[in-house]
Amino acid sequence: MTTALLSVSDLAVTYRTQAGLVAAVDGVNLEVPAGAMLGLVGESGCGKTTLARALMGVLPGNARVSRGRIVLDGTDLQALSAAKRRALLWRDISFVPQSSMNSLDPVYRMRTQMREVLCGRGDLSRGAADTRAADLFQAVGLNPVRLNDFPHQFSGGMRQRAAIALALALHPKLVIADEPVTALDVIVQRQVLDMLRRLGEDMNLTAIFVTHDIAVVAYLCTVTAVMYAGRIVEYGPTADVLARPAHPYTMGLMNAFPDLEGPTQDLAPIEGSPPDLHTPPTGCRFAARCPFVQPVCTTTYPAPTDVAPDHWAACHRVGEAETLRAQATEAATWQS
Amino acid sequence: MDGGSTIVLPAKRRGLRTALRRYFADPYAVVGCVIYVVFIVLGILAGWLAQYDPTEILFTDDGQLAASLPPSAAHWLGTTNLGRDIFSQLVMGIRPSLFVGITAAVGVSALGTAVGVLAGYFGGVVDTLLMRLTDVVLGLPFLPFVIVLAALLGPSLQNVVFSVVILLWPNAARIIRAQLLTLMQRQFIEAARVTGASHSRIILVHILPNILPLSLLYGSISVGWAILTQASVSFLGFGDQDTISWGFMLQDAYASQALSQAQYNWFVPPGLCIVFVVAAGFFLSRGYENLIFPKLKQ
Amino acid sequence: MAELIAAANLTKHYPTSRTTRQMLRGERPVVRAVDGIDLVIQRGESVGLVGESGSGKTTVGRLLLKLTEASGGTLNFDGAAVSGLSGDSLRRFRQQAQLVFQNPFDSVNPRFTIRRAVAEPLINTGVPRAERDGRIAEAMRLVHLGDFHRYADKHPSELSGGQLQRVVLARALVGRPSFLVADEPVSMLDVSVRAGILNLMRELRDRLGLTALYISHDLTLVRYVCERTLVMYLGRIVEDGPTSEVISRPAHPYTQALIKAVPRPRTDQSREDLPISGGLANAVSPPSGCRLRDRCPYAFARCAQEVPALLEVAPGHRAACHLTSPANAAAA
Repeated sequence: MTTALLSVSDLAVTYRTQAGLVAAVDGVNLEVPAGAMLGLVGESGCGKTTLARALMGVLPGNARVSRGRIVLDGTDLQALSAAKRRALLWRDISFVPQSSMNSLDPVYRMRTQMREVLCGRGDLSRGAADTRAADLFQAVGLNPVRLNDFPHQFSGGMRQRAAIALALALHPKLVIADEPVTALDVIVQRQVLDMLRRLGEDMNLTAIFVTHDIAVVAYLCTVTAVMYAGRIVEYGPTADVLARPAHPYTMGLMNAFPDLEGPTQDLAPIEGSPPDLHTPPTGCRFAARCPFVQPVCTTTYPAPTDVAPDHWAACHRVGEAETLRAQATEAATWQS
Repeated sequence: MDGGSTIVLPAKRRGLRTALRRYFADPYAVVGCVIYVVFIVLGILAGWLAQYDPTEILFTDDGQLAASLPPSAAHWLGTTNLGRDIFSQLVMGIRPSLFVGITAAVGVSALGTAVGVLAGYFGGVVDTLLMRLTDVVLGLPFLPFVIVLAALLGPSLQNVVFSVVILLWPNAARIIRAQLLTLMQRQFIEAARVTGASHSRIILVHILPNILPLSLLYGSISVGWAILTQASVSFLGFGDQDTISWGFMLQDAYASQALSQAQYNWFVPPGLCIVFVVAAGFFLSRGYENLIFPKLKQ
Repeated sequence: MAELIAAANLTKHYPTSRTTRQMLRGERPVVRAVDGIDLVIQRGESVGLVGESGSGKTTVGRLLLKLTEASGGTLNFDGAAVSGLSGDSLRRFRQQAQLVFQNPFDSVNPRFTIRRAVAEPLINTGVPRAERDGRIAEAMRLVHLGDFHRYADKHPSELSGGQLQRVVLARALVGRPSFLVADEPVSMLDVSVRAGILNLMRELRDRLGLTALYISHDLTLVRYVCERTLVMYLGRIVEDGPTSEVISRPAHPYTQALIKAVPRPRTDQSREDLPISGGLANAVSPPSGCRLRDRCPYAFARCAQEVPALLEVAPGHRAACHLTSPANAAAA
């Protein structure tokens, strides 16, 4: 594997709530190789958005990183002062939100917003900024003439492209995108995905895509990390993870995911719901919903175990993955 | 007990309890409530507490007019320049003030809610007509209108209440309509329609409970406005000269130049009472804000 | 099979706000949300209605349920004109035709308990009190919330999205309707829960013989529930056929693009460029003729002049495209 641009070790983020402390992210280990597009997949409440925010250092007021390290390109981000950390935003780590309607300021023209980033954060001159802005718009498939427009004059897809252009403005080392195409219609979504894929190849972009949609990850990402109840349960090259999932949760997700091809037999839902993180279970967090659960699963958290080069899963029965995979495709397996 | 009511009652009781708990979580709401309770109790007991008829002209034992006496055991707050007992006037003044405040509050929230709900629910022509009417009324100058109305209809308390309600409902109606428009976007309202609920049922069962805190908020704000208006009208001399109210007391004190004679015992107590009751109305409304926007607290 | 729903030239135009100039000129611009669609749904049929946001698919659902009045055309439900329903006949219709919403968290009154929420249709249609509990229990069993005493006295905020969507389904079914419109019923739910609701809808289709219209932006989901699929584009139906046919042999260029655009949960998938470009045109002033023509790679002169009719391309499979119309097919 190439060297990791970002490496996260044993990261935990704790929220203070009225009902007590909640570790929304609890012991995440994650490596993002330079030039990789990492898909961070998980369902609502699994902590993927919290993780993304922790990486950027923009957690809400009642949350804090309670342990662990985030190392970006050799710099330990947790050791930096708040001011230095903020200075990294946009220069080194930039962000594409789900709803660019909210991130683009409606009262300024796109050109002004571009200048704000390029001149304000990137120390470019106005002329240089305008040239760069035009290049960026071209790169994301927008006509540079549209720089003179206000965000509300853009369609949803165009706004998302503009938000991506803004995120790329200062050649960041890492781009974090939170559900960047979820709000878009299928055709526009595909157009934006294609644009991102091309950008990734042309600019050697390193990016993290936070999403709940396995198909988007399959289409775009080279590496996949599956998150469940605050932890990464499986990690590896996308092709390998999707074709040969080693964690029962990943298997379950794959079976529950509808496809446009193949037989339309019953999909297999994963029964139950994720654990309450106020009182996280000891042992494997998926144990209560896992059809392959064994006594050891409820007492000890499984260590990440390699199943293939660069592909690991945190499951006690990782050795039997092949057998379990076959059983997992049967809908009956998942009925409790 | 039949099936239907066993279902509904526990939920309602629980809802009310949590609502009250959230309401009184705000210290201002508690203070406002205490002030109201105190004044209501005093108002009820006013007949006992007032040792004299507030309009009676008193004489001292030696047959002199008991004019402008300082506070004493016999006259707790002294007397006016016409020899009337100020304390008796003050406690008897609670009744008209509370009457004006509470009836106006009920009127404003009822009329405002009705107009807001009808406009927001039915939309279209109904909405346009009601909202333009609202705009017109909002354009009326407040105090001059009340005075003209008092002059036309006679200066009774009822007429003050009437004019306050006529002038204050549009604020409530506009806010409630806006709230209703967001409520109408909620799918459970549509769901009620699909399941065959009639308009009246949707309004009464699904919409009103969600609007109620806002109506009460406008009601409690109106209490203060109504009392202030009544006091202003009386102070300006357009009030009912037969009803002893705090406004009347202030006007009386002003006309008799109590200020220049430093008779603070005359005009400070009614002034303070007005401030307390009006403030209590606004304090009460803070509690409703907790009910309507619980997240503001966090 | 008998027709349950028959719509002809069904139209819904929403007025948009006018500028002063438009007002002075007496212009009344409208959004052509639904612009003349013909639609027949047979009893017991599950039909999918697919389109992007702005295609008018949700408005079709609202029209069929008489939640909004049509601007033109006719709509019959079980032989009776829907526009003429009022009073008792409307109440009976409301019992017969039900809706399942997109957002389960928003579609149950937050002040109601689950029992109360599910009872709502029964109360509205005057089912005697003594029967209600039995009917509620029956509906809750249908949606696999059998041990409903666990949920009955809870409030919506205490349930998960999947459970709540089952409650919404139970509420829709408790009045024993014959027709169900489901508007994006799983799009707010997590993948692992989604499968359960889709399976449930399939099961209900088979068990109750419900007639259903399943509205979605996602062909993938429609495929699991519906045997027939309609594709809408800018207020018109552009393709109509058996779901498997529509997916495997799409006739309309728009449907072809739609199917190509769906990412698959596998890494070995086609990543070639889409045949159509750009986004949805404006529904206030849509292109003349075929509404896809400014995005369509195959557009030719006739597409701008003439609105393509929905014509059969294979038995039971129709498309509204001049390319596939018999006249052109013969010429080619």
